[in-house]
Amino acid sequence: MEALGITLQQLLTQLVSFLILFFLLYKLAYGPIMGMLDSRALKIKESLEAAETARLDAASSAERVEAEIASARVDGQKIVAEARDAASKLREQEQGRAREEVEVMLDRARTEIGREKDAAVEEVRKEFAGLAITAAERIVEGSLDAKSHSSLIDKVLEEGLSERKN
Amino acid sequence: MGKLLSSPKLLAIAIAAVAALLVSVAGGALGASFGLGFLGGPIPFISIPAERVASIGGYDLLNSTVMFWFGGFVLLFIAWRAGRNVKDVPSGWQNLMEMIYEFFSNTVDGVAGGTPKAGRRFLALVSTIFLVVMIINWVGILPGVGSVGRIETIDEWTHHHLEAFEAEVEEAHPSYNHEQVEAAAMVHLLEEHGDDTFVAFDGAIVPLGRGEQQRVPLNKIISFDHGDLEDIEKAIEDGDDLSLLPILESIHHDIETGVVKGKFAYKEGGDIEASSELLGKKVGLLVPYLRGASTDINTTLAIALVAMFTVQFWGFRALGVRGYGGKFLVNPITQGPIATFVGILEAFGELTRTISFTFRLFGNMFAGEILLIAMAFLLPLIGIIPFMGLELFVGVIQAYIFAMLTLVFGVMAVASHGDHDSHAEDH
Repeated sequence: MEALGITLQQLLTQLVSFLILFFLLYKLAYGPIMGMLDSRALKIKESLEAAETARLDAASSAERVEAEIASARVDGQKIVAEARDAASKLREQEQGRAREEVEVMLDRARTEIGREKDAAVEEVRKEFAGLAITAAERIVEGSLDAKSHSSLIDKVLEEGLSERKN
Repeated sequence: MGKLLSSPKLLAIAIAAVAALLVSVAGGALGASFGLGFLGGPIPFISIPAERVASIGGYDLLNSTVMFWFGGFVLLFIAWRAGRNVKDVPSGWQNLMEMIYEFFSNTVDGVAGGTPKAGRRFLALVSTIFLVVMIINWVGILPGVGSVGRIETIDEWTHHHLEAFEAEVEEAHPSYNHEQVEAAAMVHLLEEHGDDTFVAFDGAIVPLGRGEQQRVPLNKIISFDHGDLEDIEKAIEDGDDLSLLPILESIHHDIETGVVKGKFAYKEGGDIEASSELLGKKVGLLVPYLRGASTDINTTLAIALVAMFTVQFWGFRALGVRGYGGKFLVNPITQGPIATFVGILEAFGELTRTISFTFRLFGNMFAGEILLIAMAFLLPLIGIIPFMGLELFVGVIQAYIFAMLTLVFGVMAVASHGDHDSHAEDH
């Protein structure tokens, strides 16, 4: 023991030094680092799980969005088709109505024209009758030769025309 | 080679390296046999016990303890820097410490059963042993450790050695008075250590260039011859007044002055070279202020004791007093005498493990120290460089072995002895 230099004093010194060192290392480094490593492992596990759920969420919401887009497209096409149908129906309706109106107006115009024409003819006839009567009266009144006869008729016609003009 | 010649920088480095090699070969022990050896000094005295550097109120402070504390402070500083502000995203020292800690965490879990946290109870001690042993191994090979020190004079040296001889004489001749004991011890000392050599110092430094020729035997420092010693012995036996003996007085005087007295002759290869060069130079031994803590057997024994006591503690805690004690103390009647014998062997095994722990680390590191010293004398300047690297490697390997063995012994201690039986019953 003496030759190797082992002494109780030095052995105890090294023993106590080592134990103090152990204790201080534990306090200074192992404790904090061990706690930190554990909490980090937990945190990593949690965030991995959170990422997984987020990934699943994103996948399902993407699906939903796609489905919505598809249904919206179908809806839109339907709406467009409906609108087109309605428009063409409306156009036909309008065209039909317009045609009817035009016909009604044409009919009305035609009847009006007919009535006007009838009235005018009637009036002319009446005038002519009057004029003929007047002419007859004149002829009857005066002496009538063929020459004066025709002048008289002209005169009456002129008078009648001017009268009509007035 | 072409690349070497084309670059002047590389060429210069290569030339410098070759020159350093030549200088170191010529200046070292090899060159000394051709009359060169201008860098060689005397090989220092290698002492297995660590040396004392100070004595504080009866407590001897050893140079190895100083290095142990220094290594401990380095380690604590690193631990403090690593652990004072732990962050989830590590940086700097925390990274290093975490790497080591995680490595050991995985190792202990792997050895202790493979499941996570299976080896948690071993972790702190195993990693502490690794870190502490590694740091004391590494600080032990710093330059200046073992080579800077105090000169122990002949006066101190003889006082130190006389004590043992005085105790011996007192035991052999209880009738001697104090003076007689002292004188007889001195005679024994001179007889036994008369040819021991000491270094003649150049002031405060170990001189270079003379190699072993700088060593002086004790009988050239203290002038005496065989007849003088016989005279003293005769005077002691006769019970003469020893204070009147002139030769004893001159011996004490020579010890106190501690300088080279005799004309010094150095013998090498049969040639006797007489020299008076060293006359009057101060003689002594170099006592390093610092010494690697793992080259002191107290340190390695202390760590081994901590390790083995903790292993026993783990065993008792895991298996209970009966369970763990049953490994060593087996009833010869119920379980047979062979089992009892094996139990006794197991108990001795625990003791041997402690001793093998102690001497494995001590032996490796002490041998490394001597290797470095030897290389410094064989190939001064550069010879030490590859061996420094080797010692760094040995330092970490020894620390790893120490830690791993502690872990393995711990795992073995907590493993239930009855595992085989219970498995056999299961099948």
